[in-house]
Amino acid sequence: MTPDSRIKLVSELLDLPLRDSEGKYCGIVDDVELEGEPGKALELKALLVGPGAYKGRMPGWAMPLVKLVAGNRMARVPIEQVRTIAAVVHLDCPARDLGLDRSEDSAGRWIPRWGAL
Amino acid sequence: MNPLELTLGIMTAVGGFVDISELVFAAKAGSQFGYALIWVFAFSTIGIVVFSEMSGRVAIAAKQPVFNLMRHRLGLKLGLVVLAASIISNLITCAAELGGVALILNYLTGAPYVLMAILMAVVLVVSIWVLPFEWIERIYGLLGLFMIVFAVALVAIHPPWDRIAGGFVPQVPHGLSTKELLTFGYFVVAIISAVMFPYEVYFYSSGGIEEGWKPKDMLTNRVTAILGMGLGSLLAIAILASSAQLFGPANVDPEIPGSAALQAAIPFGKWGLIIALLGMFFAVAGAAVETCLANAYSIAQFFGWIWGRHKKPWEAPRFTLTWIILFAAALAIVLTGVDVMMLVEFAILFSILVLPFTYLPLLLLAGDRRYMGKYVNGALAKTLGWLYFAVITAAALAALPLYVLTSGGNG
Repeated sequence: MTPDSRIKLVSELLDLPLRDSEGKYCGIVDDVELEGEPGKALELKALLVGPGAYKGRMPGWAMPLVKLVAGNRMARVPIEQVRTIAAVVHLDCPARDLGLDRSEDSAGRWIPRWGAL
Repeated sequence: MNPLELTLGIMTAVGGFVDISELVFAAKAGSQFGYALIWVFAFSTIGIVVFSEMSGRVAIAAKQPVFNLMRHRLGLKLGLVVLAASIISNLITCAAELGGVALILNYLTGAPYVLMAILMAVVLVVSIWVLPFEWIERIYGLLGLFMIVFAVALVAIHPPWDRIAGGFVPQVPHGLSTKELLTFGYFVVAIISAVMFPYEVYFYSSGGIEEGWKPKDMLTNRVTAILGMGLGSLLAIAILASSAQLFGPANVDPEIPGSAALQAAIPFGKWGLIIALLGMFFAVAGAAVETCLANAYSIAQFFGWIWGRHKKPWEAPRFTLTWIILFAAALAIVLTGVDVMMLVEFAILFSILVLPFTYLPLLLLAGDRRYMGKYVNGALAKTLGWLYFAVITAAALAALPLYVLTSGGNG
């Protein structure tokens, strides 16, 4: 793989939706965690999910607003947990194992469980 | 392809095509400019058919709705701007539809408008909560078919068919003053916006995924988009033509949504009026549901939440909370006492400004073989798609100046 295609991989990963091993949507690739040093290959370590990961991608003045509206929660998805990357990133484990289901769970406390056909 | 399912899908699309903005602008266009704006309805209908078919195809081929892929294409920053603009546009549209339904109920029952708005918000929320997606779509769409009374009423008043046919030819009426020409221009932009509302493609593509469309449904998608929206558009054209025949010569300006219903009362009396109002009620109520769900779909898809009404409300909690809050926000806008017609004007204006941002990512996605494989845009879809994108971009640029110069089409 050439350096160009590595960079392309990252740019194409960003903003893709995530689905866990149970087929549930569980966030978007908001940023990525890379590891490396001068002279060595850059390695993709994890996907970062949640408004806390917007920091590198939004202007500084916008972050307090993002924090106010959406909070600053961020979950880390180790690259080993990624099964496939296409129009969606499919994960190898359930969202709850990676802490990706907390916001849905919090919202779920407000929703009664009756009345729908 | 199941013929019954296909017929139901087409009928649902026909009944669900007309909303409050089309009702208002079709009636006003006919009254002010006779048959000269029919071509804009026909032209815009081809546009919404092209983009709806495209969004359905993207949903089938990439198995992703428009907003999921839109963010990937536009990136976080620009994506957030488009999301915010589309939320505002859809919210105002939803408030206009809710206000419109309350007004129609007010005509039908004489009960206070504000009370009807609150009642309808509750009824619509309960209906989305209780009913599965297909039922929601079918009930409002099929009962909206009462609107066919407008087409029957047009036939009954023996209109000049040759002049109606002539209206399908693109034209600008002769002898208009500069002021009238600007108003005509504003109507052209407003009709394009009303027919091609962004919520329609969000709802259509998400609906395709809700119904589990697969590659074998590609033909269903195409036929539903072409026939359903094409025939639905004929209802709007019937309202315009009746208005040109009945209101124009009498110098009646159909300023309120209820005026259109009088078109059915003239040939058919009280029952014509009631059927027209019922058709308008279900069509506009359906549009209120669609705008609200389309908004919730967009937000949920943008942030990667669990979404969809094919799930029980508690299985997609953030999505559920979102559509409930959006309905409450739409009701709050209506309860401020702002005039429904003003909401319609704002909805039209905001929507046309958002339209290019809605359709550009869709065009790029549908033309991208990596996502679409063999279902990538062909030459016809590509040509029509870019042609309409150029038209809506020009309309978006012209919208605000025309709105200001014509005081929202009021001269």
